[in-house]
Amino acid sequence: MERRELLKMIAALTGGVFIGGELLTSCKSGSSIGGLVFSEADTAFLDEVAETILPATKTPGAKAAKVGQFMVVMVNDTYEDKDQKIFHAGIGKLDEASKKANGKSFLDSTPEQRTALLTALDKEAKDYQKAKKPEDPSHYFTMMKQLTLFGFFTSKEGATQALRYIAVPGKYDGAYPYKKGDKAWAT
Amino acid sequence: MPGDSTQINNKAVKQNTYDAIVVGSGISGGWAAKELCEKGLKTLVLERGRNVEHIKDYTDTTKDPWELTHHGEHTQQDRVNSPTQSKCYAWNEVSKKYFVNDLENPYNQVKPFDWVRGNHVGGRSLTWGRQCYRWSDVDFGANAKDGHGVDWPIRYKDIAPWYDYVEPFVGISGSIENLPQLPDGKFLPPMEMNCIEKQVAERIKKNFADGRRIIIGRSANHTAKVGDRGPCQYRNKCHEGCPFGGYFSSNSATLPAAARTGNMTLRPFSVVEEVLYDKDKKRAIGVRILDTETMKTQEYYARIIFLNASTLGTTHILLNSVSDAFPHGLGNSSEQVGHNLMDHHYGVGASGESDDFSDQYVFGRRANGIYVPRFRNINETTKQKEYVRGFGYQGGGGRGRISIEDGLGGEYKDSLTEPGKWTFGIGSWGEHLPYYENKVTLNKDKKDKWGLPTLDIDCEFKDNEKAMRNDMKNSAVEMLEKAGLKNITSYDSAPAPGFCIHEMGTARMGRNPKTSVLNGNNQLHEVKNVFITDGSCMASSACQNPSITYMALTARACDYAVTELKKRNL
Repeated sequence: MERRELLKMIAALTGGVFIGGELLTSCKSGSSIGGLVFSEADTAFLDEVAETILPATKTPGAKAAKVGQFMVVMVNDTYEDKDQKIFHAGIGKLDEASKKANGKSFLDSTPEQRTALLTALDKEAKDYQKAKKPEDPSHYFTMMKQLTLFGFFTSKEGATQALRYIAVPGKYDGAYPYKKGDKAWAT
Repeated sequence: MPGDSTQINNKAVKQNTYDAIVVGSGISGGWAAKELCEKGLKTLVLERGRNVEHIKDYTDTTKDPWELTHHGEHTQQDRVNSPTQSKCYAWNEVSKKYFVNDLENPYNQVKPFDWVRGNHVGGRSLTWGRQCYRWSDVDFGANAKDGHGVDWPIRYKDIAPWYDYVEPFVGISGSIENLPQLPDGKFLPPMEMNCIEKQVAERIKKNFADGRRIIIGRSANHTAKVGDRGPCQYRNKCHEGCPFGGYFSSNSATLPAAARTGNMTLRPFSVVEEVLYDKDKKRAIGVRILDTETMKTQEYYARIIFLNASTLGTTHILLNSVSDAFPHGLGNSSEQVGHNLMDHHYGVGASGESDDFSDQYVFGRRANGIYVPRFRNINETTKQKEYVRGFGYQGGGGRGRISIEDGLGGEYKDSLTEPGKWTFGIGSWGEHLPYYENKVTLNKDKKDKWGLPTLDIDCEFKDNEKAMRNDMKNSAVEMLEKAGLKNITSYDSAPAPGFCIHEMGTARMGRNPKTSVLNGNNQLHEVKNVFITDGSCMASSACQNPSITYMALTARACDYAVTELKKRNL
């Protein structure tokens, strides 16, 4: 699946546009683009969020693919300043939501508690994205989920183990045998 | 100018004198370089941007997605630097080096116009879409028939031998179809349609009495070796430059051929400011360039000059070449230079799903799709009431991924790793009529960083294109319905002119010097030793991707120019 198609699919999965994928509407010559400082703890936290969204199964999960670090790079380099802030604040908000729901931080929660929390946040975020006006900010969890999906399926672990990947196919076959359970091509 | 002065240093003039100068190294400039060099002319090829050497300079194209910092994605800095370029389908984290920085290359949009450019050796031949379709007399005769624009001074018979000549060197894969509106060429073996495409093609053929067909795209991706180039490895990373030489570009093909003769001098970082005209000799004597590394100007001289700086680049040079003899720009007594700007209008079509072929998939990434040759206004029975001219479709089928909207966790992850249903879609490319008022002019108040005037671009699609778009959308839906597809959706993203990257027409060919700029040999009516064979020469746009026609016209004009040189007519 081509990168642009993957982005479209992820946008569809998360009820809107791919954040950071849209053009700046008011870009001015010389306008500076900042970047936020994410701590190692932030990256580790994001790894756990990503792993809850796409955990290790028979194939590696998002944490093995270092999706937390990828999210930080993408937020700082591809997000507008206002979205960067929402994402960064989202780390604290997600932890707050965990404390409210389970009485403990996200990292102290059991895998089941994490999954339950993020499932609820997933629904909340999706409903919010669908109802919001285009100019309203996006939900932080939508950002995390989008970057997890994109980062994982384009990572080495995601592309070559969860999916199939051949760098140089060398030929084309338009009626290649397929049986249920065979993996999709990463690219 | 040397002709005006006795103080010129004769030695310096001699050092800077060539038989021919070619301005631009893109798809047509590369051909001019090859042909002129192979015919024995010492040729100076001027390129405004940096050099890009075949294979050696295709950095990062062998990297896997995860080896790229953003896995291929755009950054905000990219969008700030290149808001127009970064919208292009061919732009990614690797190919972006073949697109200009918009901030450093300004132009002025009187109406929205997306000008997508690559200023480097090879130009847009590195990033082009590689689709190659001959024109027919339906196209060359169109202006004369319905009165839009001026009559082409040539017909299919004039260019057919030159399509024959360039195609085997380009290396175009395609199928023989015997369609009068889309003549066959000299093709490499065609690429294969996949299972859904074959099914749709069969059903279209059966369900439409007007001769509508779906054929495999004719693409300059090499299905067999072309000299030392290729074959295509089905990576679908053409826009990044191909380390296998799997597709045609100036860098892979024409410029190396020109270099092999020993007759080519390639000079990057050379922005041509103007063509120098000698009013006594009544001919162009050379060009003045700005060396963008030293910021010094330099004059070069030659007996013939080919302008292949891209449609708007060449137009800029003509308009900026002002002299007593040509106050409106070189060869512009007709005042047609800069006018009649065309693109193709596209971005409208439909797609649908199929429940069939769940036991089939694809292997490899075919950088090509299917093509629906024009089927409107090609004869009396296909004549439309609402509009003149026509359109074609490009498209294809494939299997995306299963997409489950809600959830997360192990099951969710594993479900996302399976392919989804087959889908099939087509999008159209429509003809844009030549309107005098669609134009570019020099803006002397807004200069670029080289101190040269920028271009004001004032171009739009009008009623004929809008009427055609309705049919483009409705016919797409109708075809997919008749092909038995489900969940059909249509779209019209209404891109601005320019975004199809087929700009052409601003120095058109014609029979009459009063209404056109170039004659039937791509020679300026008024300055016989200047030839223009890039997109600016086009008198109409047809609906086919234009590059192969530029290439054929270039080879033809080079042959004519050298013949005339030998006869001492130039």
